[in-house]
Amino acid sequence: MYSFDIARPSSVADAASALGQEEAQALGGGQTLIPTLKQRLASPSVLVSLSGIAEIKGVCKMDDGRLSIGGGTNHATVAAEAGAHYPALADLANNIGDPAVRSRGTIGGSLANNDPSACYPAAALASAAEIVTNTRSIAADDYFKGLFETALEEGEIITEVRMAVPEKAAYAKFEQPASRFGLVAVFVAKHADSVRVAVTGASEEGVYRWSEAEAALSANFSADALSGLTVSGDGMISDLHGTGEYRAHLVTVMTKRAVEAAG
Amino acid sequence: MDKRVGLDSVAFTLNGAEVTTRPLPGERLSHSLRERLGARDVKVGCDAGDCGACTVLLDGEAVCACLTPTHQAEGCTVETLAGLRGTDKAAEALADSFAAHGAAQCGICTPGIIVSAVALLRKDTQLTEAKVQDALGGVLCRCTGYRKIIDAVLAAGAPHPVPKGDGHVGQPIQRLDGGGKLDGTELFGDDVAPTDALLVRVIRSPHHRARFDLGDLHGWAEATPGIVTVLTADDIPGTQTFGVIPAFADQPVFAVSETRFKGEAVAAIVGSAAAMQLLDEATLPITWTELPAALTISDALSQVAAEVHPDRAGNVMCRGFVACGDSEAALQSADVTVEGSFTTAFVEHAYIEPEAGFAQMVGNRLELHACTQAPVMDQEALADILGMPTDAIRIVPTGIGGGFGSKLDLSVQPYIALAALKTGQPVRLTYSRTESMQSTTKRHPAQITARIGATKDGRLQGMTFHGQFNTGAYASWGPTVANRVPVHASGPYQIADYRAEAKGIHTHCVPSGAFRGFGVPQSAVAQESLFDELADKLGLDRLEFRILNALDNGTPTVCGQVFDSGVGIRACLEALLPAWAEALTLTTSWNQVHETQRRGVGVAGGWYGCGNTSLPNPSTIKCGLRADGTLVLHQGAVDIGQGSNTVITQIFATALGVPVEQVTLVGADTDVTPDAGKTSASRQTFVSGNAARLSAEALRADILARVNADKTAELRLDGNVIEIRDAAKTHRLALADLPADAEGYVLRAEETYDPPTVPLDANGQGQPYAQFGYAAHLAVVEVDMELGTVKPIRIVAAHDVGHAINPVLVEGQVQGGIAQGLGMALMEEYLPGRTDNLHDYLIPTIGDIPPIDTLIIEEPDAHGPFGAKGLGEHVLIPTAPALLNAIRHASGVQITELPATPARVRAKLRERADG
Repeated sequence: MYSFDIARPSSVADAASALGQEEAQALGGGQTLIPTLKQRLASPSVLVSLSGIAEIKGVCKMDDGRLSIGGGTNHATVAAEAGAHYPALADLANNIGDPAVRSRGTIGGSLANNDPSACYPAAALASAAEIVTNTRSIAADDYFKGLFETALEEGEIITEVRMAVPEKAAYAKFEQPASRFGLVAVFVAKHADSVRVAVTGASEEGVYRWSEAEAALSANFSADALSGLTVSGDGMISDLHGTGEYRAHLVTVMTKRAVEAAG
Repeated sequence: MDKRVGLDSVAFTLNGAEVTTRPLPGERLSHSLRERLGARDVKVGCDAGDCGACTVLLDGEAVCACLTPTHQAEGCTVETLAGLRGTDKAAEALADSFAAHGAAQCGICTPGIIVSAVALLRKDTQLTEAKVQDALGGVLCRCTGYRKIIDAVLAAGAPHPVPKGDGHVGQPIQRLDGGGKLDGTELFGDDVAPTDALLVRVIRSPHHRARFDLGDLHGWAEATPGIVTVLTADDIPGTQTFGVIPAFADQPVFAVSETRFKGEAVAAIVGSAAAMQLLDEATLPITWTELPAALTISDALSQVAAEVHPDRAGNVMCRGFVACGDSEAALQSADVTVEGSFTTAFVEHAYIEPEAGFAQMVGNRLELHACTQAPVMDQEALADILGMPTDAIRIVPTGIGGGFGSKLDLSVQPYIALAALKTGQPVRLTYSRTESMQSTTKRHPAQITARIGATKDGRLQGMTFHGQFNTGAYASWGPTVANRVPVHASGPYQIADYRAEAKGIHTHCVPSGAFRGFGVPQSAVAQESLFDELADKLGLDRLEFRILNALDNGTPTVCGQVFDSGVGIRACLEALLPAWAEALTLTTSWNQVHETQRRGVGVAGGWYGCGNTSLPNPSTIKCGLRADGTLVLHQGAVDIGQGSNTVITQIFATALGVPVEQVTLVGADTDVTPDAGKTSASRQTFVSGNAARLSAEALRADILARVNADKTAELRLDGNVIEIRDAAKTHRLALADLPADAEGYVLRAEETYDPPTVPLDANGQGQPYAQFGYAAHLAVVEVDMELGTVKPIRIVAAHDVGHAINPVLVEGQVQGGIAQGLGMALMEEYLPGRTDNLHDYLIPTIGDIPPIDTLIIEEPDAHGPFGAKGLGEHVLIPTAPALLNAIRHASGVQITELPATPARVRAKLRERADG
């Protein structure tokens, strides 16, 4: 440990101001940042805790049919409140980590961190999400920039995530058993005008859309439509829990299973 | 705007009380609770959100306190187990149910488990197994195998009448030391130090092998505020090296000039708690030069490998050997033979309590409180290191949050002892999860080649076995593994022609040592996998094949040892027959309609010789009666969660003839309890249990002699009078009339038991153990043929325990052992320097353990107390091979490299598909 200050603003405006300081770092539920700090992998001089900001919490249906989720909403709340509108998303939230992680971790924290194996980035991409910050709105397709990299600027705070609710959707996750992150996980969403297939856990570049699968499923939304497709192990994450080749294989199987689950 | 907190105080409600504390920014709530607010019922197992032991309720939600910054608790309500007990109905119901089910063994995970379950029960009373598994999915338990936890949560609130009776042998009484595990008052290694104790930080090698220079470490210490002293090899008054086997003692307390494994200690820093919280090891003046390291057996045996120890040529530490008959001739004349090579991984004990303790000088004596399986061995080792007489050292084992073999070796003890000696102040050390995993012993990785033959009518004919075991940089219990494996590698079967050799090979890895089974789980993988191949080749049912060849009373083992009674393997295997038939039928019908998820059934047997291999292995138990009628049992057999406190008391009470509730337990404590040996090798029920029986019998004989009563007389301890009733009359012995000795005892006894064994000759022939325990497991698994995942569906476990002293504790041992065997089979692989945490190193979680049926077999042993046998190791010996055999049955592929991870299984499936 080393010394730093901690700020606990109660509004987005105060938080943005606190984050304007030198080497300030936002703290959501702390599920990732606290261990990172202890290992000195991050060394902010000011930690800005977002957990006291009521205005960025909650789930509601928007007039245009999309689902709005406050950036500070924890996973347990999404699991409980998104179900009526977007069951696949509620299911995803309900299978993140364990109850302790779900009661602390937030959607904004997950998207801001953009861990290559996290669940929410896949949902955001597959749901053509709009990621709203205190300064602007970013389309999910423009938001994810690679491993732990996003379009967020210094001091920018995710206040809201707006997701298009698909006609059919499912998230199929092959879990890393300890973290319950996806070793490989695939979110398949059939929208009125398109099919989106978002893959997390697999690529060294972080979450991505599998365009070949999207094309095949747009023509025929069934697992059979995927049968000819293969994925290369090049550029896939290779670690203790699975080689790139194995992950590539999992992408095809989990996509198929997501399509089957979406019905 | 911006409400700066900085070093200001944080206020919240803790267990109903308003508290204020001043944490460092970013400080973990777990740390503030334990160290600033005294809530030591909150346990810390990993500081990374992996184990869940620190789970508390924050505004009613379960959170990992180690991932919650204390500042985020401002204005919140925080509840911990200690606060929930007595005030929360759900917590009370859970505690009752946990006690009744034996759902807490060591108890270190119990606070996190119960707190998580309270959060669940407050929201939902219509529980299902799946809901319990989800709610507790983030809390790891290494002892129980989770099934009793699931049962206990599901039954919370149901009536749990405490069993009536005298608690004698055979009765499933609740564990006698269970209360403190369920209300957070049990004190573990990190819970006992005074708040002003100095802290020690051990400085460890960042490389597998390195030369190093400590630089001006003393200058650094003087210049760094709050640092009191540093310790290096120069500070050791006695011997520099230690080891559990004197002839092989080779491990330096501090390495000198060169380190032999990543994580080896080179120095230690001693300072105030505040200074140590801010210590940055990067500021130390130590310089390192990395050297080429041999991490695998083949690396270490290569011509170019450096010798890890100059006096152990070719990096071979030692060799064990057993031979009988003519194995080569038998194999040549066999009708069928099979041969295979198998490799297993380093397995980490992964107890949820990292090593911890504190030491202080009391006058001229050193008092050391730590989690240990072997207090007297610790005492003797420290006497050597400190250059002090043994009786100047007192070891008081704390609660032990799991051991499984690794807490037999020294860990924190020499560092806190040296620091207390040098500074004269109380000193405390708790290993981080990473340093626990880096520096303490592991299960040996094995490379095994075996060949087994049979006649066409299914009789075993000849076996050869060659095993190499990666023993790491230092010997630890490696010689024990090398000696034990050849004795056991035949399995509990009749093989007249046999040759087995096992070698311990040094590498630049963390030392391998004792872990439940001492190498036998590894050898069983090879032998039992090959048995399935043999049975298939012969066209025989796999279980019938084992029954046909099972050892019997009167048939010699491969060491030529013949037991007249108590050989229970046949009974174990036969007990599985109904489940076997049913599982085969169900599996066949399942597979007719499932292409991707294929099911299979596997079976395996196992045995384990209880106690040391052909070496003296005594236990001593003392008891006494005070003038006021208090009956005290000095029980020095350390209870690491397995239940020796309860079992040994049951044996003692039965032999004396009084109810268990009249026995007051003391110990373990080297000042108070005689040496009951180490908690190891399944020996406490057998050896210490026998010492307790003898001690009770001696006390009883003394009582009877004083009134000249018949030996069949019944005793009744009624206040300070013993009533002795025989056929002739009722005698009364008034204890207050008898003179008391220095300890206050008016009657006392102290007895020792040492199991009868006969040394092994050059061919390993002799009587290595006075008794064996036997086991057979049946496993049903489902293999996902696309993903390579293996899901255990059901396990049936038959264990011959001779006489179940406490059937609930027997089930607890069996289920917990199976969980460890399952982990070894399917997921556990320690890679030095790469998996030093509980998210990269996987252990089974509550969702991984299938229902387990425990079948208790009782073939009385000639030597065991009331016929009882040891159990602690054979609980897991058949698990891994039973699972591997089930995978083979389900999928057609033989896994020969453990663990059978999804990627490995899928690679094998693809190999087969590619032809």
